[in-house]
Amino acid sequence: MLQREFLTMLFELRLTKINPNMTAGMVECCYVSENSPVKLGDKLFDLRVDLSAGFSQYCPPISYFRVVAREKGILRQLLVKPGDNVNVGDLLAVLSEIANEEIAGRPVRPLRVTTAGIAHHSAMWSARDQ
Amino acid sequence: MTHEIALKLGSLKADDFLIRRSAIHWLCEDDHLCRAGEVVGFCSVTIEPSPNQRNAGLPMAGEQDFQVAIAPRTAGRLRIEKGKSPGGYLGIHGLHLWNPNQIIGRLEIPDDSRGQALEQDVRLLMLAGRRMSGLADVDAGILPGWHNRSRAWWGDEGPDRTLLCLGICDAAGIVRGNQTPFIEAFESTAEPAHLVYIPDHPVVPCAPVLLDQLLRSSGQNRAIAADLAAALGSDRTGTTSDDWLFAGALLSWLERSPIRDSYELVTPMGLRRIGPADAVLLSLSSETNTILKHKRLGYSLQMLRHRQASAGPAIRAWLGSAFEAVKRSVDDIRRDYRRLIDAIGQETGARVFILNRMSTSGYEDIVSYAPFDAPMSDTLENIAAKEMNLMLHDLAQECDATIIDVDALAAEIGGAEHLPDGIHHSATLQALLRSAMFTAWTPQARKSGSVR
Repeated sequence: MLQREFLTMLFELRLTKINPNMTAGMVECCYVSENSPVKLGDKLFDLRVDLSAGFSQYCPPISYFRVVAREKGILRQLLVKPGDNVNVGDLLAVLSEIANEEIAGRPVRPLRVTTAGIAHHSAMWSARDQ
Repeated sequence: MTHEIALKLGSLKADDFLIRRSAIHWLCEDDHLCRAGEVVGFCSVTIEPSPNQRNAGLPMAGEQDFQVAIAPRTAGRLRIEKGKSPGGYLGIHGLHLWNPNQIIGRLEIPDDSRGQALEQDVRLLMLAGRRMSGLADVDAGILPGWHNRSRAWWGDEGPDRTLLCLGICDAAGIVRGNQTPFIEAFESTAEPAHLVYIPDHPVVPCAPVLLDQLLRSSGQNRAIAADLAAALGSDRTGTTSDDWLFAGALLSWLERSPIRDSYELVTPMGLRRIGPADAVLLSLSSETNTILKHKRLGYSLQMLRHRQASAGPAIRAWLGSAFEAVKRSVDDIRRDYRRLIDAIGQETGARVFILNRMSTSGYEDIVSYAPFDAPMSDTLENIAAKEMNLMLHDLAQECDATIIDVDALAAEIGGAEHLPDGIHHSATLQALLRSAMFTAWTPQARKSGSVR
């Protein structure tokens, strides 16, 4: 069993605390699909962080972030879609090093990503009703 | 050992008009150890004609809320004098004639301060609010309710200068404050000042919107009102009360340029009239890269998305059909600023201060810009903010604009810590920016450039 885990190179992508005060986020855009390759620098998700609940005020503190891959892989499981609310720590996706790898094992580590603050844009889920 | 200073209300005059005040509403308990200049209470004030001037127009007639807050000039332990108000509803209205010799409390100070006088007039902070509607009256608290303009002034001889805030939340926190209206600004400076705050509901005060508002004729205002009324009247989806309320607030905002406003001030020395504002504070954060333009009437409009969300379906449909979204490049924004600053210069001669943008959120970990498409300022907030800040720097070189350098001040104190929600400034950063604003506003500082 141990040997099998070492042979499997799975990476997980969870919602991390981008802002120390956040507890959740919303998926605005999803740029990847299951069983497709992810290259270094590929866009993965756009996320919305809304701190209105914790920082009640008339001007809602809403920020948008883009998560970009800093390493390559194959996206094996996509667990969210645009419009989904996710808690910090929730699993967003599982990636493997090679395409036919068994994905039942435990991920060896989080996928390396870059997170950057972005402007709201028309392709976002929250822009659909405007 | 201690000795006491009697705290008197001190002088407040409005020429021959009578000034009445409510009971004093204390903001602290008896025995409170207060700082010098700390606001400890307030009362509501009314002005009424004296018997020989029944037909005279009342000063500040358009401002339904007028209050005076009080602050001891010296630090000490406050002993509150028991008032004579019957309390209840009568406690919030002007029952008592303003008596400058009225002792409202006493201050216990250490004996080693014995050189001090046995009595002192408290510092007065005057606060006035013009309600969005006469219906928007709320009795309790300091400047409560919905105002389309609120202002504050102080100074024993009355201020001779006015700063008009036309920014969004970043500027509002500096001028109006986030704790209690205007008190943070009042407590931060002993210099006389008059601050005026225009809220951003429902319109974002960006440069093209302010320019249109400043130059629009009354005929153009009537055309805007008629167009809006026709849109709401013809709406078949059902115009709601939210639509009508929103429409009223929108017209109230569009019809009157506060840049031209003049003001009446009730001061310890008497009634004064000043204005228009000699300084106007703007926010670079108001300048979005897309604004709305009315397809037929041609005027500009911009609203924050959470404001639009408070409109009803008819207003949202009207915004979607009567307006087009117009993209603005950084150069376009610079030209819009230039036109506005020149127009303000011609109309009133006021100086323009602009809060620049914080160009990092502190919550990023960009190790390479390669994954982001050019032009990166279309996507990345930090690049967009840096480009806009550079544009502002160029603008300040070519015209009478002064930058209040949010970006530099935030960086000096550690940016992320002072943007706890990723958007809004901490009280520490606000205090630094307020200090920079007052520094820029001094007559000696009349020089373009940036202030930190």
